[in-house]
Amino acid sequence: MADGVLSPGVNLEAFSQAIAAIQALRSSVTRVFDCLKDGMRNKETLEGREKGFVAAFQESLHSVSRDLGELERLSNLVGKPSENHPLHNSGLLSLDPVQDKTPLYSQLLQAYKWSNKLQYHAGLASGLLNQQSLKRSANQMGVSAKRRPKAQPTTLVLPPQAGLVATPELPILPHDSLREGSEKRIKDLFLLLRYVDDVINRIDRMFPEMSIQLSRPNGTSAMLLVTLGKVLKVIVVMRSLFIDRTIVKGYNENVYTDDGKLDIWSKSNYQVFQKVTDHATTALLHYQLPQMPDVVVRSFMTWLRSYIKLFQAPCQRCGKFLQDGLPPTWRDFRTLEAFHDTCRQ
Amino acid sequence: MEAPPVTMMPVTGGTINMMEYLLQGKAGGQRGAGGGWGAAELCVSGTGSVLDQSLESLLHRLRGLCDNMEPETFLDHEMVFLLKGQQASPFVLRARRSMDKAAVPWHLRYLGQPEVGDKNRHALVRNCVDIATSDNLTDFLVEMGFRMDHEFVAKGHVFRKGIMKIVVYKIFRILMPGNTESIEPLSLSYLVELNVVAPAGQDVVSDDMRNFAEQLKPLVHLEKIDPKRLM
Amino acid sequence: MLSKKLELLGAEKHGAFGVDCETYHTAAAISSQGQTGKLMYVMHNSEYPLSCFALFENGPCLIADANFDTLMVKLKGFFQNAKANKIESRGTRYQYCDFLVKVGTVTMGPSARGISVEVEYCPCVIANDCWNLLMEFMQSFMGSHTPSIPSVFGTKHDSIYSPADTMVQYMELFNKIRKQQQVPVAGIR
Repeated sequence: MADGVLSPGVNLEAFSQAIAAIQALRSSVTRVFDCLKDGMRNKETLEGREKGFVAAFQESLHSVSRDLGELERLSNLVGKPSENHPLHNSGLLSLDPVQDKTPLYSQLLQAYKWSNKLQYHAGLASGLLNQQSLKRSANQMGVSAKRRPKAQPTTLVLPPQAGLVATPELPILPHDSLREGSEKRIKDLFLLLRYVDDVINRIDRMFPEMSIQLSRPNGTSAMLLVTLGKVLKVIVVMRSLFIDRTIVKGYNENVYTDDGKLDIWSKSNYQVFQKVTDHATTALLHYQLPQMPDVVVRSFMTWLRSYIKLFQAPCQRCGKFLQDGLPPTWRDFRTLEAFHDTCRQ
Repeated sequence: MEAPPVTMMPVTGGTINMMEYLLQGKAGGQRGAGGGWGAAELCVSGTGSVLDQSLESLLHRLRGLCDNMEPETFLDHEMVFLLKGQQASPFVLRARRSMDKAAVPWHLRYLGQPEVGDKNRHALVRNCVDIATSDNLTDFLVEMGFRMDHEFVAKGHVFRKGIMKIVVYKIFRILMPGNTESIEPLSLSYLVELNVVAPAGQDVVSDDMRNFAEQLKPLVHLEKIDPKRLM
Repeated sequence: MLSKKLELLGAEKHGAFGVDCETYHTAAAISSQGQTGKLMYVMHNSEYPLSCFALFENGPCLIADANFDTLMVKLKGFFQNAKANKIESRGTRYQYCDFLVKVGTVTMGPSARGISVEVEYCPCVIANDCWNLLMEFMQSFMGSHTPSIPSVFGTKHDSIYSPADTMVQYMELFNKIRKQQQVPVAGIR
């Protein structure tokens, strides 16, 4: 029997005894019914017949209860087979004889290994990241430096006209702060949102050839769709006033997913814009000033605006338009001059 | 690159003759005198209050009978162009554009003469070519030598059942040529059309159409209409 | 020779393409009404397999779906197809980074009449913006045969380039080829 194979050396004897007990029980039960079926056999007297029948019936019932008791005793000895296996119930899958039809077990093992590895690498990565001093927001710096004694954990100081202290990440409120002054926090949140809108609007008005559409598909964090002339479109994912991610696409490319949301994951089909996306990400890391995030956004947009002449400006160093089939995709952070990726200093 | 207009139907090419099968009718009221007015020859008269009522119940009935879809509304501007040659009959093309959906391409349609000798068929059968085009269609037709004959605005609802299309619409007269903003209803009633575009020779569909028309009977009588009679 | 140079540059073959053009004469029936012998061209481009382009010289270009051909059959009383004037260009598509280059042989009837080269820079939607860039690219494989700026660019200014513009250029090229016997190379965006 399969159970025996499952846990070799464990209670094998008990198993065989139990099986024997089951067989005995079955035969005794059969005997009870046989006896009932046959009824009273022909005997000399009626009394004799009845007596004989009752005696036989009693005896067979006794043997049933005896066998049952035996089986119960043995079954306690055997225990649950699955508990003995290290993989618990999933271990039973490996016993499936039709392995070709359902490769479940090998897949399961694969997935387990994979997730183990993932966990390991994630651990390594988080360790490495924690060592890096690349802190782009005041938020993270505040946390790592020291916790403030008050309930308000980390703050982003709004300019004086707003005159308020707002927390950058409000949608997930810490539990302790929920108790005190949650009303005030919601008010702060709205002020913050208005402030972000304000900054973006001002930038939008600053550059006539640039149009910015602000949307908030997932709660508070804003997403911008920046259209620069008829050259390119940029999707900017913000977290409060910090830019988290940018993707540059062609003017004629689709920036929406099938269900009408901004597509923040897929990259451009064109090599030029993939390159510009890389450079824009570099620019995000370059422009950082944790105390004045609005300045950061503004200087990033100013830098981005220099791409309006992406196809028209020759490289400032080699004087050519093309290099390896690409126009000058790099823009200097200070001078905003156009260079090929390989021509920049 | 701007995507050129593409029809969703598989391209049938020139070898298969597409035919339109048509039944027309009116929603409520008796048929009035037909005005000599090109495509919209079915002028129907009736009292407004009755019509509003019967429109609602007709739409309700159609919602039940047709494929389970959200009933769509449309607002189209149609222009009928003629190309006059030395032959007796001019060549007629209909250019239609949607006024409420901007992304939809223009629609150019050619309708042939009704097939003769189809007395035993239950629907009007005529040749038909549908083309989706870019938005400079009118300029192009003028360049080809076509002249605009008349124009109107149609507003109504469209239903589908299988390949059958049922349109319930009202025709509006355009008061100032070219200005689709100032329009006035031509009559107080709605026009009902049941049509199918199918390859030539599939006369079975006309039976389906008649069966469907039967189910609308008390509300609207759909029948084969000979355009010549109304001219 | 051109394709060899392109391949040396690192361009990869990417299928075939074809552009054809049929000419229609207005029949006598309507030309009597002051429409003096206009030519209408109906063109197809394998890049847009479901579409059909109809153009007049210096006139509007209509983009329609392929059913337009059926309509032209219906219209044969008014427009006659000049079968002998059918002209087409067939050849190979090459891809190099974001450039698309199509080198084709132009044939009219049974005889080859010339070579057409179409260069497209896909990421850019305004032709004038990337003309210098295109020039540089074309010089890299066509040398002194690089053409001058096509006339459509002049009228377009800042508007967005569309497939119709490509077809207008093909039409102009085909007309030039029809008139003079041998044209070496013509460049198109």
